[in-house]
Amino acid sequence: MVSPISALKQGHAGKISSFTDEQIAGKLMTMGVLPGSFVKLVRVAPFKGGYYLKVDGMVMVVREKEASTIVLEVQ
Amino acid sequence: MSIIALAGNPNSGKSSVFNQLTGLRQKVANFPGVTVEKKSGKLLLHGGIEATLIDLPGAYSLYPNSQDEQVVLNVLTNPADENYPDAVVYIADVTNLEKHFLLLTQIIDLGFPCLLALNMSDLAEKEGIRADVKRLTDFLRIPVIPISGRKGTNIHMLKEGIAVLLNDRTKADKQATLYQPVQSEQKVIDKVKGVLAVENTYQALLMAHHFKKLPFLAKEAREQIELIVRQAGFQDIRLQIAETMARYGTFTPVLRQTISKNGDKTTTSDRLDATLTHPYFAPLIFFAIMFLVFQAIFAWAEYPMNWIEQGFAWASDFIKNVMPAGWFTNLLTDGVLSGLGGILVFVPQIAILFFLIAILEEVGYMARAVFIFDKIMQQFGLNGRSVVALISGGACAIPAIMSTRTIGNWKERLITILVTPLISCSARIPVYAVLIGFVVPSKTVAGLFNLQGLAFMGLYLLGILAALFSAYIFKKILRSEERSFLMLQLPPYRLPVWKNVWHTIYEKVGTFVWEAGKVILLISMVLWVLASYGPPAKMELAEKTAAEKARQENLGETETQDLIAAHRIEASYAGHLGKLIEPAIRPLGFDWKIGIALVTSFAAREVFVGTMATLYSIGSSDEESTIHDKLSEARRDGTGELVYTPATALSLLIFYVFAMQCMSTLAVVKRETGGWKWAIVQFAYMSAMAYLGSLFVYQTMG
Repeated sequence: MVSPISALKQGHAGKISSFTDEQIAGKLMTMGVLPGSFVKLVRVAPFKGGYYLKVDGMVMVVREKEASTIVLEVQ
Repeated sequence: MSIIALAGNPNSGKSSVFNQLTGLRQKVANFPGVTVEKKSGKLLLHGGIEATLIDLPGAYSLYPNSQDEQVVLNVLTNPADENYPDAVVYIADVTNLEKHFLLLTQIIDLGFPCLLALNMSDLAEKEGIRADVKRLTDFLRIPVIPISGRKGTNIHMLKEGIAVLLNDRTKADKQATLYQPVQSEQKVIDKVKGVLAVENTYQALLMAHHFKKLPFLAKEAREQIELIVRQAGFQDIRLQIAETMARYGTFTPVLRQTISKNGDKTTTSDRLDATLTHPYFAPLIFFAIMFLVFQAIFAWAEYPMNWIEQGFAWASDFIKNVMPAGWFTNLLTDGVLSGLGGILVFVPQIAILFFLIAILEEVGYMARAVFIFDKIMQQFGLNGRSVVALISGGACAIPAIMSTRTIGNWKERLITILVTPLISCSARIPVYAVLIGFVVPSKTVAGLFNLQGLAFMGLYLLGILAALFSAYIFKKILRSEERSFLMLQLPPYRLPVWKNVWHTIYEKVGTFVWEAGKVILLISMVLWVLASYGPPAKMELAEKTAAEKARQENLGETETQDLIAAHRIEASYAGHLGKLIEPAIRPLGFDWKIGIALVTSFAAREVFVGTMATLYSIGSSDEESTIHDKLSEARRDGTGELVYTPATALSLLIFYVFAMQCMSTLAVVKRETGGWKWAIVQFAYMSAMAYLGSLFVYQTMG
């Protein structure tokens, strides 16, 4: 199943299969968020605030707008 | 002198290494043309060699997403830049090495002699991570040294490595090339090399990508590159992504072989974050921490503040005793010394606040606060990072405004700068303390809460609400095409490095004393002149009248002096100014005496109390309770009504909550926003809020 991170439930994880926005992808990739990276959605702040992710062991937070452009391949 | 640049990702522990290498021999300035902080220091190497060490801002790559990253790009692609390094020391966090290699391989490809320092090797060992230094050296063909910036481990080896790097620059030619441009890139690179005097292949490629934003390129060069890029159909974002992928493709397999990890288990940080970033508990915990922080400031700062005040009072008396009486002595004591005292008395509060903020920053909590508040801050046109500035504003707006430099989006940064001075700073406290007694009695309710304490909190809250409200208005008014985004790495929780904490305090207090100091000192001298001199005939008459009155009432030495001072200030230029603005402020319930205090407290709010003391002939006393008693007897000229009714006092309090009475802040805003425009906007909107707020309060209550 493929799904953007913003549509996942807390605790779900998977590998990044693609990005839907080139500009955002470029920025994310400089931080080491790449196609193939293993991402876990750890928690979401209330009212769909920040998305707390664990990307290959690194903790990072993004907004819903960015989270919706990262597509995961979920087992 | 040779220049060494310290480069690395944010959270690589670069500043610890910088502090270890330079100690206190540091200078803080700005990179040319931007307000990005540039820290530099002297580096003493073996054999008496000296070098300048520059701490480049943290960056993830040479494809900039923030002002910080833009500066790194500007410096590293311009050999004519004054900060262009002779060699680069790259700091990488060995516990998460892969993420640090993108920028490293880009810098190596730019042809700098490089050295890789594997930082946090002490933590890596604890976590069971081992790096194969020999394998890394063979791969990159640059020296690799495991160090610990926190503990200072192997710093001497790092220094030796830097000395070797400087002595033998031919080594740079033997370094690995880590990215081979594809054909479409190579064509553009060759042409860029042809028209500009660029030798390095990767430098030429970066110019093709970023020519629009590189400030050092002449207009002509920019147009030439634009033509080349357009003719070649250069797709920058696609190529950037492809390059990033290719670089990862080159180093990831090597790193997988050189780093052995003990699996990806749940860490202590994860467990802490489960509570500290919990959707519902997190804000509660945050406010509890802030409550403790402000409690600590008030509890700990009281004694040192008293010492400073007494010290200045003593120095002032001393000068008056040993120097001949006259205008120069008065200028020295009442102008210079009182100005200096007014600045230094706030140092304890500011130092304590930044001590606590630095600890929260060091352990990694501030990054969590950004995450917790980002959504709500966005509703008000702010950024999660604005939280740090707004908290700092509780001590002093100046360092707070300077801390907004980490906000990448210009509109969000500007709004943060514009509203931060609405947060009640230390300088408002003495004013609140004198006036609050006129509005609410000192009574305990519900056996626990002091009414005046609650009112105090109410004033703070009013400032916070006003800041959010104004931010919301600015969000609606200001236009911006720039996309706002948040991609923030949360570092693992770590014990603070005390050296870094001391450095932060030293730096913040330094900027406060310097930035606020120079303006307040200048203005307090001008105000001294205005308050001490007036039309000579009137001044003489005022003195005579006061002396006559004192004789009639049989006043003692001190009381006579105080009475004369009161009459003198009334006849002075400041007094004239106060009377001049009286018609404008009468609807707010203010008389000309308050007018004088508003004029004199324009430089700095706390001057209000001192001026009031002088005006009511108790200049020799600065006890807040004495001033309160004296004010409570004050009557209006003509009608004889009491001046300080609850309505007047509340109106005045509201005025001080909102008004922009701090020249130093305006000067800093001008510098940070690059012109007077926003400083004037800020002054205008805050003054309007103060006037209208006071008008409303006085007219409805009075």
